[in-house]
Amino acid sequence: MSSDTKTEDKGKKKARPGQKVDFRSGNEMASLAASHVNFHLMGYYPITPSTEVAEYLDEMGANGEHEVRMIPGDGEHGAAGTCYGATTAGGRVFNATSANGLLYSLEQYPVQSGTRYPMVLNLVCRSVSGPLDIRGDHSDLISALDMGWIVLCAKDPQTVYDLVIAAVKIGEHADVRLPVIVADDGFFTSHQKRRVEYFEDRKPIQDFIGPFQVINSSVDPANPITIGPYMNDPDQINNKKQLSMAMGAAESVIPKVLEEWGNISGRHYRPLETYKMEDAETAIFIVNSAADTTMDVVDKMRAEGKKVGMMYPTMIRPFPSEHIRQACKNVKALVVADRADSYGAHGGRMSHEIKAALKDDPDNRTMVISRIYGLGGKDYYFEDGVGLFEVAAEAVKKGKVEIPYDYIGTSPGDPSYNPPKGKPALTKEEQSPGIIKVVQNETTGKLDVKGVKQRDLTAMPHRITAGHGACPGCGIFPSIGTFLKGIEGFVVMLWHTGCGMVVTTGYPNSSFAVTYIHNLFQNGAATMSGVVEMYKERQKRGEIAQDQDITFIMVTGDGGLDIGLGPALGSAFRNHNMIILEYDNQGYMNTGHQLSFTTPMGHATSTSNIGSVGRGKKFHHKDSAQLFAATHIPYVFTGSETDYKDLIRKAAKAQWYAKNEGMVFGKLFSDCPLNWRHPDNNGQEVVQAGIDCNFFPLYEVEHGITTLNYDPEAKGKKIPVTDWLKTMGKTKHMLKPEYTQIVAQFQEEVDRRFARIKAMSENPLL
Amino acid sequence: MANLPIVNNLGFYEIRMESVGGFGANLAGKILGEAGVLGMGFNGSNFSSYGSEKKGSPVKSFIRFCSPDIIVRENSPVIEPHMLVIFLETMLSYPGMLSGVGKDTVVIANTSMTPDQARDTMKLQTGTVVTIDAMKIAVEEKTRVNTALLGTVAAASGFIDPEAIKEYIRKNLGKKYAFLIEPNLKTFDRGALEFTSKFFEDDGKYPAQPFRAEGQKIGYMNQVIGGAITTPGNSIHKDLTVSRSGYIPVLLLGKCTSCGECDITCPDYCFVWDKETDKKGKEVQKLLSIEYKHCKGCLRCVDICKFDALVSRVEYEVDKKIIEDGYTD
Repeated sequence: MSSDTKTEDKGKKKARPGQKVDFRSGNEMASLAASHVNFHLMGYYPITPSTEVAEYLDEMGANGEHEVRMIPGDGEHGAAGTCYGATTAGGRVFNATSANGLLYSLEQYPVQSGTRYPMVLNLVCRSVSGPLDIRGDHSDLISALDMGWIVLCAKDPQTVYDLVIAAVKIGEHADVRLPVIVADDGFFTSHQKRRVEYFEDRKPIQDFIGPFQVINSSVDPANPITIGPYMNDPDQINNKKQLSMAMGAAESVIPKVLEEWGNISGRHYRPLETYKMEDAETAIFIVNSAADTTMDVVDKMRAEGKKVGMMYPTMIRPFPSEHIRQACKNVKALVVADRADSYGAHGGRMSHEIKAALKDDPDNRTMVISRIYGLGGKDYYFEDGVGLFEVAAEAVKKGKVEIPYDYIGTSPGDPSYNPPKGKPALTKEEQSPGIIKVVQNETTGKLDVKGVKQRDLTAMPHRITAGHGACPGCGIFPSIGTFLKGIEGFVVMLWHTGCGMVVTTGYPNSSFAVTYIHNLFQNGAATMSGVVEMYKERQKRGEIAQDQDITFIMVTGDGGLDIGLGPALGSAFRNHNMIILEYDNQGYMNTGHQLSFTTPMGHATSTSNIGSVGRGKKFHHKDSAQLFAATHIPYVFTGSETDYKDLIRKAAKAQWYAKNEGMVFGKLFSDCPLNWRHPDNNGQEVVQAGIDCNFFPLYEVEHGITTLNYDPEAKGKKIPVTDWLKTMGKTKHMLKPEYTQIVAQFQEEVDRRFARIKAMSENPLL
Repeated sequence: MANLPIVNNLGFYEIRMESVGGFGANLAGKILGEAGVLGMGFNGSNFSSYGSEKKGSPVKSFIRFCSPDIIVRENSPVIEPHMLVIFLETMLSYPGMLSGVGKDTVVIANTSMTPDQARDTMKLQTGTVVTIDAMKIAVEEKTRVNTALLGTVAAASGFIDPEAIKEYIRKNLGKKYAFLIEPNLKTFDRGALEFTSKFFEDDGKYPAQPFRAEGQKIGYMNQVIGGAITTPGNSIHKDLTVSRSGYIPVLLLGKCTSCGECDITCPDYCFVWDKETDKKGKEVQKLLSIEYKHCKGCLRCVDICKFDALVSRVEYEVDKKIIEDGYTD
């Protein structure tokens, strides 16, 4: 640790032999590294800001640039499971995630490390919800520190590339055999383009990492093994001792691998990078992208004659304790800046680990000060770094630390500020114009809905208000808005993560005139079931008036019924008095149009690219309405704003069933002009074409009896699927000759599913 | 290699682009960054301010250039730009648009206004104002405003090589969009030629607009705990006109039957209704107007209206009174 970070050779524009100079972001560099490693498999689930890693890799794969097998998960938990299984089957595995994606899959990480299967995870660091925040901080990263994974930190796009490659070799080392996280900062690094270098072909990387050494293979019938036994005491502690020993081995393996890579690439990394630390009296320790800005601050203050320095880690698991002790020998005050808080621990996580490291040096007198910065992705400016050095200087001057732990960059707010009022609460009377009547036939038990008149229904107040930030022509709001015209009285809604939620509730604004809850992508239905049952219990206990009547509607879309299918089915099995509405827009639109399980075959998305070998999505669309029909809840329907009278009629029935019998599931065909790529104005025509080609049958299932509400053939409106596919940019390629077979398969599946619904409609027993 | 005409104390020439999603500011920033770093040999960086990826929402793109031997470390947004590029005329008067702009800043505005008019709209204290009617060029060439603005950026910068940008326009359009290359290069050339530029001294007319002048009104002392919003539906105060891309629906009340279908199809809940008594003495719903503040110009309502009571019009040709009233007879 005697010399500072070598920087002089990074300034040259000319590439090193075999390498290319380019202008790329962190996510691009992660995917380039993955393509050069040519992992056998990537299991992933899209989550901002890591999504692009899979997107770029899929796009390269669609053009035959690598052989990485791409498996879209049903959620991050499932993706981690896919990765785990794949590692047991003896190959190189890659994943990328962020924030709640990491936490959702967290229980899988000790499985991966405890059974000793190496893989590489690119953690693109982001603030953990809630409230939901998509920008970069380290609240996800600190949750990953005790999982038995090696954790490397990449402060810029170049480092992302180098460390993803090095991680392969580190984790697979015979003395290590551990999975590795490469963490870089969401947006600051993942989406910022910098001048970078990378190898023009994968050979130097392949030579560097060598062939994968298979240990404990799950697909070797000649050598049957048991992976993951039931292991209580006295054995599990020894498994963990081994893991700890492997982590110890990694401490010496990592510098060696980094040195070897440095000799090949010309880019050198050390476990702890120090900058102007030799004679520094005050210093900052900071992780990842903010280290860059801090170095600029050091340069400026050095020019003013101040003895300042800084350090940032390349690895934090194992933690570079000895390197830190060496670097801090003569430091009088050190500010440890954490981009995450360990609430209640009187300091950020890194500050505690550094204090612990320094405690082991009996001669060390460094005062360590904890400052929390940049939560939720708040920018770290040059002035912030200056301010941190002032905190350290103050401690040196006074000989003590007055405020050992604090936040920087917060705002107290203006207590005299009165935010503009929204809308007065809608009364029950205002929301109950009494236009629609639902009557149950006493003999047949069937529901009859009267009064669906769209002119009269303009009197129904909008529970969702104007001023939301959806794209022009968004189909979500006509779909849900039209449904709500059929719902009388008080409404409480829960929307889980997705476009609809993001564009309506950007703090401090809300487009909900009624009470609204958000919970994460996978858990909306379960959350709403808790709301419903608490409401009933409080009514039972007399805490809420018996005659108050709320209709509970949970809204999902943007693929939320992929990751959230389990909890939604669970809620259906329990038959709560609530409505689940799925706006099916055939993709994860809030993260930039990745495939969802509802994306039909052949459709192009950012993770089902078309190219020289890519042919769009490889498997058929999920039929969520039939999944819910199979739970035998009282009422399941499909609907579309294009047949708004049908949809409003179904809404009125849904409310009746939710109030009197239990769970209702409705699937709405909701267009997305941005990602389906059609003009903003003609969403209804595109959706209608999807209905007229029988892709999206309009039907309802009451008490298990199916009624087809619209038969295009009977109305003389039936068209081939190609007449729908030609209306959208995401499917236009399917009209080309090379897609003939895929279109035929798609048409056959559409026809088969429609015929099935029709047969069910004609036979109450089906 | 060209020299940067002016740099800040870290050695950067800094550009900030202000736009909304869908106008290509992100791509323009990428092309500019690639042209500068890979084409012209500067070092530099480029990134955009991201929220959720929505068309019509504000977006900023940042580009930094420095000499090739300087290491790029700064990764926070550009706060004192040497060049500010404003993609939409409607954004000129936005609060904070000019934050950090000073006498050395070149402000490029996509507008049909003169530099004097644009300066007054923006309330610029001092600096160079460059106006270019990029929307007109884009409409005529069937391209987007971003390419025209890149032409103006190159010409007004005094150091950016137009050929380098053209090379990266070609590369970004690639084989996939090869048919767009020629019209885009023409758009670029027109952007480089058809602008007007004027420098304004600080004549005391408008104050400076430094960065971060204002503190946050809601903070840890007055945020409702848990982040709950207790002002239902307060997004109604928002003005979304910036989301429109040139067209608006116009309501011809004389043809309207108040059938209610527009109210079904409008994603932005813009239609204003009230009760009236019809000829038979019955109380009925009557469509009164469009709330243009919330209209994003998607024209779904024009598509659905069976009575031609909603028609598509080029926004700047529509009488301002119609937009204020929300209808015409």
